[in-house]
Amino acid sequence: MHQPNLKEAFYALGRVPDCPVYDLHAHMGSYLGISFPRAEAPDMINAMDRAGVRLLVFCHHHTLHSPDIGNAVNVEAVRSYPDRLRAYCGINPNYPDVIAHDLDAFDQYPDVYVGLKMLADYHAYALTDERYRPAWEFAERRKLLVLIHTWGHSLYDGPEVVRKVAERYPRTTILMGHSCHGEWDKAVALVKDFPNVYFELCAVLDERGVLEKFVGETGSERIVFGTDLPWFNHHYYIGSVLGADINDEDRHNILHRNAERLLVRYL
Amino acid sequence: MDLDFYDANLYFGRPTREVYNPARDASELLRRLDGYGVHQALAYHVAERDVSPVAGNAMTSREIAGHDRLWGCWTILPPQTREVVQQGAEFFAQMKQQRIIALRAFPGLHNYLLQRTVFGKWLDEVSERQIPVLLSIEHGVSWPVAYSLLTDYPLLTCVLCDIGIWGVDRYTWPLLEQYPNVYLETSLVALEDGGMEAIVRRYGADRLLFGSGFPDRYPESAILQLLHADITLDDRRRIAGGNLKRLAEQVQY
Repeated sequence: MHQPNLKEAFYALGRVPDCPVYDLHAHMGSYLGISFPRAEAPDMINAMDRAGVRLLVFCHHHTLHSPDIGNAVNVEAVRSYPDRLRAYCGINPNYPDVIAHDLDAFDQYPDVYVGLKMLADYHAYALTDERYRPAWEFAERRKLLVLIHTWGHSLYDGPEVVRKVAERYPRTTILMGHSCHGEWDKAVALVKDFPNVYFELCAVLDERGVLEKFVGETGSERIVFGTDLPWFNHHYYIGSVLGADINDEDRHNILHRNAERLLVRYL
Repeated sequence: MDLDFYDANLYFGRPTREVYNPARDASELLRRLDGYGVHQALAYHVAERDVSPVAGNAMTSREIAGHDRLWGCWTILPPQTREVVQQGAEFFAQMKQQRIIALRAFPGLHNYLLQRTVFGKWLDEVSERQIPVLLSIEHGVSWPVAYSLLTDYPLLTCVLCDIGIWGVDRYTWPLLEQYPNVYLETSLVALEDGGMEAIVRRYGADRLLFGSGFPDRYPESAILQLLHADITLDDRRRIAGGNLKRLAEQVQY
């Protein structure tokens, strides 16, 4: 009997029980630059169900862009869907007092947080800035995941900046959101040089060939899947992983095995 | 698969700037489409965009000849220079003869203004003949240009392709609302979570045409999204291919 490969299985069913998906780069809520059709937790959970997404790790847009709202919305959402959601504690270096408060409170939420989220391009401080130091040192002491927005040629979170924090904080697992978009060779070099640095695929997968490059040069065990949900559709990005010239073992690593390994202490 | 995919947005040939593993010619494109599960396509040689519409249009016509699952689109230039567009019925007769069912325009790349001052009554004739004009937002057409064109030619059958990755409903919905012959190609509509479902609810499935964006994007992305979109099977069928078939049948050469 023909055993369907992953592409055939996803085409037929939309979700595949032995290939659960872990989305390690997501957001939630309304945002200034876009009209989201499905941005609130119930709709996002429904979207996850349709694509077989087991767990989504996010940081709410409002947390990242308003210190007056802060991380409370992350806590509320995760506690509404404790089996399906985890959060990154949002860090905005413009407000050191808020960072200090949130780090002090971090241990009150072991059921909520898996690490920290930094959005340096938008907050306009480099990841190496002194204002980030308390958060990095906090993550280093606890060996946390830190999801950082990265983008090629950025002075705030481009590959040269990522290199410096990867050197300084070797016990922290650094997920390069968008994988230094556009400076793919430098992203590859970072993953080769630092065992604590991972590729993350959001906004990478809408260009053919990049994932093949990552897998070809570093293997598939240091790549995690992410969508920026509610920005991008799970099936769209899963389809990209299915369409890439890699094998099904690589696809299992990317869609769930690597994340399961990173998250084992939290689940 | 339940869907008969007719791809509205792809090219063959090698572009000036290298992309990953393109289809070098029409025969190879068809082999790739078979692997993706796409039955037929509206295709063009990328030389139309990257080299010259004069050379590229001829390459498209030559390549698709004899391939009954491929249809072509030519790229237009201002009528005044007579490089591509000729006044009179002969241009359209040539389109029919060479199985060209749509036109493309890359005004930003090809250095002209896509407006009535340039195209005059010729685009009125294209509107009357119901020939689709495809505009790529990623390649040489800004939103103000698209808005300006449709202000000048409100009945034009206009397909907006490659609409951008960061969510553009605030640009596209007013056009869908105002102009009955505006359509969206789905290779990046499919990327926005819930975007397709929202458009279908508000404007109907008839306004969407399946496109893959190959070779720039993975066809499996837009295919998997459409296969499992939260809309009816009938809506999925129309988006996958039914709408483009209807538009092709409506062309009056």
